[in-house]
Amino acid sequence: MDAVAQQPELEPTWGAEADDDLKLEVATQWQLMWWKFRKHQLAMAGGAVVIFFYILALGAEFFAPKLFTWYDKNYVYAPPQQIHLIRDGQLAPFVYGYKFERDPKSYKKTWLVDEETIIPIGLFVSGEPYKILGLIETDIHLIGPLDQDDPFYLMGADKSGRDVFSRIIYSARISLSVGLVGVFISMMLGIVLGGLSGLLGGAVDNIIQRLIEIMMSIPMLPVWLAIAAVVPLDWSALDVYFIITILLALTTWTGLARVVRGKFLSLREDDFILAARLDGAPGMRLIFRHMLPSFYSHVIASLTLLLPGMILAETALSFLGVGLRPPVVSWGVMLQETQKVAVIAIYPWLLYPALAVIIVVLAFNFLGDGLRDAADPY
Amino acid sequence: MARQVTPGNGKNMADDQNLLEINHLKMYFPITQGLFGRVIGYTKAVDDVSFTIRAGETLGLVGESGCGKTTVGRCIVRGYQPTDGEMLFRKADGAVVDLSMLQGEELRPYRKEIRMIFQDPYSSLNPRMSVFENVSEALHVNKMGTRAEMEERVGYLLRRVGLRPEYMKRYPHAFSGGERQRVVVARAMVTNPCLIVADEAVSALDVSIRAQILNLMEELQADFNLTYLFISHDLSVIRHICDRVIVMYVGKVVEVAEGLDIYINPQHPYTEALMSAVPIFNPRQRDRDRRIHLEGEVADPSNPPSGCYFHPRCRYAEDRCEHETPPLRQIDAERGHYVACHFAEKLELRGAVIE
Amino acid sequence: MGDILLDVIDLKIHFFTDEGVVKAVDGVDLAIERGKTLCLVGESGCGKSVTCRAFLRLIANPGRLVSGEMHFRSSTNGTIDLAQLDPKGSAIRDIRGKEIAMIFQEPMTSLSLMHTVGDQIMESVLLHENVLKPEARDRAIEMLQRVGIPKPDRLVDEYPFRLSGGMRQRAMIAMALSCNPTMLIADEPTTALDVTTQAQILDLMLDLQRQDNMTLMFITHDLGVVAEIADDVAVMYLGRIVERASVDTIFNAPQHPYTQALLRSIPKIAMQRDELDPIKGMVPSPYRRPSGCTFHPRCSRRIEACNRIVPSVTELAPGHTVRCLLYENIQETEALQHG
Repeated sequence: MDAVAQQPELEPTWGAEADDDLKLEVATQWQLMWWKFRKHQLAMAGGAVVIFFYILALGAEFFAPKLFTWYDKNYVYAPPQQIHLIRDGQLAPFVYGYKFERDPKSYKKTWLVDEETIIPIGLFVSGEPYKILGLIETDIHLIGPLDQDDPFYLMGADKSGRDVFSRIIYSARISLSVGLVGVFISMMLGIVLGGLSGLLGGAVDNIIQRLIEIMMSIPMLPVWLAIAAVVPLDWSALDVYFIITILLALTTWTGLARVVRGKFLSLREDDFILAARLDGAPGMRLIFRHMLPSFYSHVIASLTLLLPGMILAETALSFLGVGLRPPVVSWGVMLQETQKVAVIAIYPWLLYPALAVIIVVLAFNFLGDGLRDAADPY
Repeated sequence: MARQVTPGNGKNMADDQNLLEINHLKMYFPITQGLFGRVIGYTKAVDDVSFTIRAGETLGLVGESGCGKTTVGRCIVRGYQPTDGEMLFRKADGAVVDLSMLQGEELRPYRKEIRMIFQDPYSSLNPRMSVFENVSEALHVNKMGTRAEMEERVGYLLRRVGLRPEYMKRYPHAFSGGERQRVVVARAMVTNPCLIVADEAVSALDVSIRAQILNLMEELQADFNLTYLFISHDLSVIRHICDRVIVMYVGKVVEVAEGLDIYINPQHPYTEALMSAVPIFNPRQRDRDRRIHLEGEVADPSNPPSGCYFHPRCRYAEDRCEHETPPLRQIDAERGHYVACHFAEKLELRGAVIE
Repeated sequence: MGDILLDVIDLKIHFFTDEGVVKAVDGVDLAIERGKTLCLVGESGCGKSVTCRAFLRLIANPGRLVSGEMHFRSSTNGTIDLAQLDPKGSAIRDIRGKEIAMIFQEPMTSLSLMHTVGDQIMESVLLHENVLKPEARDRAIEMLQRVGIPKPDRLVDEYPFRLSGGMRQRAMIAMALSCNPTMLIADEPTTALDVTTQAQILDLMLDLQRQDNMTLMFITHDLGVVAEIADDVAVMYLGRIVERASVDTIFNAPQHPYTQALLRSIPKIAMQRDELDPIKGMVPSPYRRPSGCTFHPRCSRRIEACNRIVPSVTELAPGHTVRCLLYENIQETEALQHG
């Protein structure tokens, strides 16, 4: 007899379960996560800001009016210019030029706006030549003065007459990538060591846990200072950059390793993992096919929350002079100039890099928050 | 711990009707302390348990939480490596193998033969894998067929458990608890096993769904000649589905009997207490005095009492019970009734109220 | 009916989630008699817990009490409509714990790990009654003694995690009863316990109820428990009470097809193996409630009108009501609903 026919009637008769709306039923975890993430508006905004900054960093040569090494001794500490859009009733953006006075006693230079000189500016103007992504040679910049010899300082100039605005954009490159590389290294360390700890247990677990505790109890600032002291002065900027990222990674992997270990420990007891084990799934498949997918969304979320810490750490190190050094330009390096209160009082625009740091760190935190909420859509 | 038995390949079973024979099974979990995990004692979750499962029967395993019934089930599916004892399994060709001796890859053929149904349909399916991936995992890892063949098999099984084959593309979150449990049953069936260990398979389900799954399991048993080890704390469910019943208390078997026998003629005081708590679905037969209130708490399996583990709570206990561990012995040869109590013959025990 | 303690009229509680509105409770009428045990029975998702939480105004976002009245005869303040009270106000807080107490399935959700059992019982006594600490402590020990905890003077200083499941549930009952509430709501209090422990807790609750002439509202999905303890039974399905009668009527002469099917689907000791008769289909998703009578897709006795008309409450006999079109004048109801 056909056993299927004996089954009680299981199909709901009210028809709402029909196949017309299969979207939710066949949604993978990433789709569910995206739908959940989309509802978190602050996180969406944070994500947009983060993407915006990474695009800026990638195309820094194009977005910045000047090269980060470019300077003009005539405009030392020139204040920011204001963009005016309308001239003579027509849309023709321009900035005013500079003039200055010298205090007859102190010979101190005071910058004034010269409303006589009008410097027309525009989009997609010719400037200094560069290569797009290091490949195609061009000299088009997103924004700049029509005559590239005219002064153009949207966020003012620093002590050498360099453009703060351009340098902030170039700095995004280093500041945002130190975070990425550091997070990548600490992710590797965290997943491998945390995974070994959680999967093997016993003595391995014990050793790794003690190592984590030791790492966490070392006060890092003196260690950094010590390392900065032994880094030879003749090391190239790239070497220092490399050391900094590794240092940052070494201090941040511990938290992640603990998360990963905890996840493995709790997953080991889960029924669906036992089910897969009883199916005969070998160890590697258990880990990579069954266990990892249930928490790498959590890992991504915690990495996103690690990044702002990395960015802040780099900034702090460079600010203290133990991190990156000129001519490498990062937000922390730029902020080195603001170490004296007097400088901030007279040239407050030198603090613009700090504003960039705050915006990026906030954006990462909002993004990470949203990812964390969406990480477990079930 | 030293092994007392040699690898069981070529061993013989007492009865050729037996599919599985458990002899002196022990599962001890170490209790560790301190930085270096020094072992300070053992939780004796399963402490010298012996029983047999006959081919084609449904054997019930009852007991309260912590009695070791789940651990027995997990030893049989080799989720655990038993501390000691034999688990003799008869293969399709009649040869007998000791499952407790096998390791790693050697177990692979038997993992297809002995499958498991879990209690909680929400935690036993991987939410990140589709129904097809969940059900076909055993086929995939054992390289049993191409993708198309696996799809056909999964589709067939889904139909058999009362779900539409198209559902295999869906993820578990799209299903209700009852439907998920049908998927779990399909997963157990996918390798065409001969023995299924069902650990509280219907306890987490709603009343109306519970009956559906019980009926489904009985149907599959008839059609595929399955043998079930049905683990549950629910005596009404056990009564409904099982041919024989084993009662466990703190890691030990206290009574084994056929079908209704254990309900109307319990021989162990603990079984009597269990039976007195069986619900009666008729308010006209309400009788609060029938329930036996056990004194104290269930014994701690890491520090069990001396003699009979049940003696501190037993209302019939005598001196002997405190000093001498009662062996599991047969008291009725005809009906295969076994009990572990010194005074089984002397005691007049009450059975469950049959409406 | 006799002395009504709590009269619930047309209670509606809806949950406004991102995926849509879930009508968890959709027009519940329920009169609870003083001193009796009322069992509210239903499968998961039928709204039985939400209904009871609504009495104490414990519905959290995104749930909202959409409409309804809940007239409660307070022992001190006359009749109060609980639905009108501010869920965070002092009026409802005076009722919670003191007049209506509640216990839950998992005692650890309402017992704190950080405080001793005694401290937690004393806290509710001190909160609701004008007594001093030593007196409250004596009361705590007395309550622990009453719920059958051995050596209560020692256990009063224990932390909850040191107790077994059954003992914790006893401690929670002691806490709930410490202020002599008029009514006790018990939400599946024995579901997580073993059968032998469950029997003890049930007996204990019935004894305590009898001693204090307390009203007991017992929420469960277990019909065995219902048969043991109930005076009256209300059967719920998808947000509505489909049948309400004395326990004897429910088990021996049920009228609603759902109640009948439910009783047929439970395995009983006396039954033969092939007699199980399940209810077909699944409980529908809360977002996809069937139209008309919500049970009609699974009902074996459905008639053509069932998918159109929401049945109204029909009184078959004094104290026995049912919501089913089989028992009412369809034309009349239809005219009422569409007119």
